[in-house]
Amino acid sequence: MLTVEAKNVDFYYSDFHALKNISLEVEKNKVVAFIGPSGCGKSTFLRILNRMNDLIDGTRMTGSVLIEGEDIYAPNVRVDELRKKVGMVFQKPNPFPKTIFENIAYGLRVNGIKDNSFIEQRVEESLKSAALWDEVKDKLKKSAFALSGGQQQRLCIARALAISPKVVLMDEPASALDPISTAKIEELIYELKKDYTIIIVTHNMQQASRVSDKTAYFYLGELIEYDDTTKIFTNPQKESTQNYITGRFG
Amino acid sequence: MKRFLEKLAEGALLLSGSITSITILLIVLFLFKEASGLFRSPVIEEGYVIALNKANTVKSLSSYEIKEIFDGEISNWAELGGKDEAIEVVRLSDLTNYYTEEELGAEFENIPAKASELTASHPGIVLFLPKQYLAKKFDGITLDKETIHPGDFFGGKEWYPTASPSAQFGLLPLLLGTLWVSLGAILLSLPFGIAVAVYLAEIATMRVRNILKPIIELLAGIPSVVYGFFGLVVLVPFLQKIFQLPVGETALAGSVVLAIMALPTIITVAEDAMRTTPRAMKEASLALGATHWQTIYKVIIPYSKSGITSAAVLGIGRAIGETMAVLMVTGNAAVIPHTLLEPVRTIPATIAAELGEAASGSAHYQALFALGCILFLITMVLSISVEFISKKQK
Amino acid sequence: MTPLDKTSKIDKRKRRSQFIAFTLFKLMSYSVVAMLILILGFITTKGIGVINWEFLTTAPQEGMTKGGIYPAIIGTLVLVLGSSLFSFPIGIMSGIYMNEYATNSKLAAFIRVMTNNLSGVPSVVFGLFGMALFVNTMGFGDSILAGSLTLGLLSLPLVIRTTEESLKAIDFSFREGSLALGATKLQTIRKVILPMAFPNIITGLILSIGRVSGETAPILFTVAAYFLPKLPHSIFDQVMALPYHLYVISTSGTDIEASRGIAYGTALVLIAIVLIVNLLANFLRTFFSKRVKMN
Ligand SMILES: Nc1ncnc2c1ncn2[C@@H]1O[C@H](COP(=O)(O)OP(=O)(O)OP(=O)(O)O)[C@@H](O)[C@H]1O
Ligand SMILES: [Mg+2]
Repeated sequence: MLTVEAKNVDFYYSDFHALKNISLEVEKNKVVAFIGPSGCGKSTFLRILNRMNDLIDGTRMTGSVLIEGEDIYAPNVRVDELRKKVGMVFQKPNPFPKTIFENIAYGLRVNGIKDNSFIEQRVEESLKSAALWDEVKDKLKKSAFALSGGQQQRLCIARALAISPKVVLMDEPASALDPISTAKIEELIYELKKDYTIIIVTHNMQQASRVSDKTAYFYLGELIEYDDTTKIFTNPQKESTQNYITGRFG
Repeated sequence: MKRFLEKLAEGALLLSGSITSITILLIVLFLFKEASGLFRSPVIEEGYVIALNKANTVKSLSSYEIKEIFDGEISNWAELGGKDEAIEVVRLSDLTNYYTEEELGAEFENIPAKASELTASHPGIVLFLPKQYLAKKFDGITLDKETIHPGDFFGGKEWYPTASPSAQFGLLPLLLGTLWVSLGAILLSLPFGIAVAVYLAEIATMRVRNILKPIIELLAGIPSVVYGFFGLVVLVPFLQKIFQLPVGETALAGSVVLAIMALPTIITVAEDAMRTTPRAMKEASLALGATHWQTIYKVIIPYSKSGITSAAVLGIGRAIGETMAVLMVTGNAAVIPHTLLEPVRTIPATIAAELGEAASGSAHYQALFALGCILFLITMVLSISVEFISKKQK
Repeated sequence: MTPLDKTSKIDKRKRRSQFIAFTLFKLMSYSVVAMLILILGFITTKGIGVINWEFLTTAPQEGMTKGGIYPAIIGTLVLVLGSSLFSFPIGIMSGIYMNEYATNSKLAAFIRVMTNNLSGVPSVVFGLFGMALFVNTMGFGDSILAGSLTLGLLSLPLVIRTTEESLKAIDFSFREGSLALGATKLQTIRKVILPMAFPNIITGLILSIGRVSGETAPILFTVAAYFLPKLPHSIFDQVMALPYHLYVISTSGTDIEASRGIAYGTALVLIAIVLIVNLLANFLRTFFSKRVKMN
């Protein structure tokens, strides 16, 4: 079954044509990596999938995006419901200035859940799935800012998982982290695949090849090539892809 | 030569740079110098003296006690810690009740002697006399060195600068009036100010914002007399009518006018604070399925709360110091207010209304400077707390 | 089935509370606008009939119930001019010092705190201070000089802050560029930085003029005259002033009811000054920013 299905997506920031005719499908419980040089539109496309670009004035989109078969740009769609289904992890860890517990509970609370025992249970489950539970279980009431950068990023992942999304979007989740934290996050992505569909933007070729099942290569707002990760990294069909993954530019 | 000019210019710039500090210093110096004179001024009207019987165990009277005695509120020395003896108030004009005009003399030349005699023979007497009629060898206690106590000012419940024989310079009614009016103002303007700030920072489109911002700037630019005038001709009659009041000039009228005047400050500062919320924080909240409104009150407002606090404090400062508008609409009755629907008088309004009548160097004049000091101190504390709050935010 | 699966009712509820909150905020914002329109509209409709050439060019007559407000207009102009002569040069120099010389030092931080404090001092305290220092101690008496200095001190923080902010907006590379060519710091400021900051500074100065022209409390005891039909001859004369005139005729004139028309007219003139000043400032801001873009 297809979890994400984008058809002929074009996107504009005012006059700037940032994405050109992108079509792409993602299957359930797969990890897809978006790669490409800076400014090619990876983040823009990722943010289309949970309508985060709605926040930017003067943007325009054509084409359609279906998530679990539903057109997310249909007029009757509620963005807050959509975003519950499509979680997001940002490039820089961005915990709220609240306790660790309240950071995770935030998504549950804003969605109207008041049952405290359920909240506690979800906080524990999500911290466990984000492989953070053992490190923070004794300091849930401490400020999230007291954690290291890597821990903060896993906290943000746990926060996204707490509301049980179907898809998790990650925009360069490890780019601000040290190698050990990065390895932890990569391990985590591998684990999460069982329950979630994951799309990850990365500048790190090894990371893409290690964690993803499929890879999409973007260049100047176009989707140049999209295929199984092994194929992209061993036998790319386009010269541009070949140049990029071998580090000849970008 | 060039180097010298360069140094000279730098010196001039440094001098200009320190002008604000110098000004503050001078303000402190002049205000406090004039104000401190108040506590060296006599309790009793200049040129007069109060005399008591020699046997009286009460040796000093505060300004408030003198007023109460002459108003008949205190009628027995026991109330002042003395002997159980009825108080007998005698003014110069009352001497004719005790002596005939012949006894006092055609030119009143016998007044000093008679006054002395009367004081000596009446144990409960309080005699209020111009100094010129005081006998050389006066037989009694004279209270002419008594000065106004800090307690009379800071704890005084009455402001009545023209009272005779002892003018009343009680801070409390004015201070409470000021706080009362300012509190009302901030309670009215804070909800509006924050609502408008949220609307401008988060909800309004760019186009609407571009229209609203200049309007708020304009609101800030209108002179306070114009607000006062508007309050006087529109608001005051309006309040009088809807609340069925004897007079419309009330604390409430002052609060409403001040609320309008404090709005631009509150809106601008609060909006700027909300705009400093990092985009990432906002997006994190929205990405978790929060609505925009949930994001505003769960993330943006908590994040900018010190900025919003500063806005409130600055608004209060603006309200406390505002003079003309308040002077024009609050009715200026120097009594301790009990409801918002009574006339009150604030510290700035008192200064503005009375400084013109107070003779330079008189106790009244000094008392008005003391009020200025209080006002200055309050706003200084507010400014410093804003400084402190915004430093804590960083 | 976990609580997470049945949140659609809640979704409706939270959207409703958003709708209510946003509608409320919008209404509150527009009511602020409505209030401004009410104030401006009221005073304009009542005052416009009073204003004519004669009103603007003749002195008050018959206990200020007739005639015009010419001396008050001139008085306010004189005071604005006088205070600007004092506050503009000193304020601009102070701003230059703060931004160009005293960066990061403890002294600068102290001065900044003092400037903020001064801007929080109530105008009536300036009045008291002006009276004690300029009128009494320095012996200027109630005069244009004393009033202008008092108003000048009052507007200093505003001038300093505008200058500082305008200078801060200029990229550091321009300073480096000039210094690299061998210019001294002072030359750099005079020839490069100040001309670039000029548009923003001017805008701020104009706004400070607006503020000064409407202040009443500081001039009550330093210069303002109740009724003085003749124009001033020297800086030691008293003058009438628009805001004080409005205060006097609306609260303590000889015949308050009969002066109402004049009061509306005076209020309208004051508002017109503020409007003109704001429009001028906005116009200059856009005018200069366009020109900078064209270069
Ligand atoms: N808010 C915006 N307004 C206007 N243009 C934008 C905006 N955000 C991005 N762009 C432009 O759109 C293009 C794609 O940006 P995007 O952020 O999607 O690139 P990216 O592939 O994620 O790059 P990076 O690897 O550096 O994160 C870039 O040319 C960028 O300049
Ligand atoms: Mg990106």
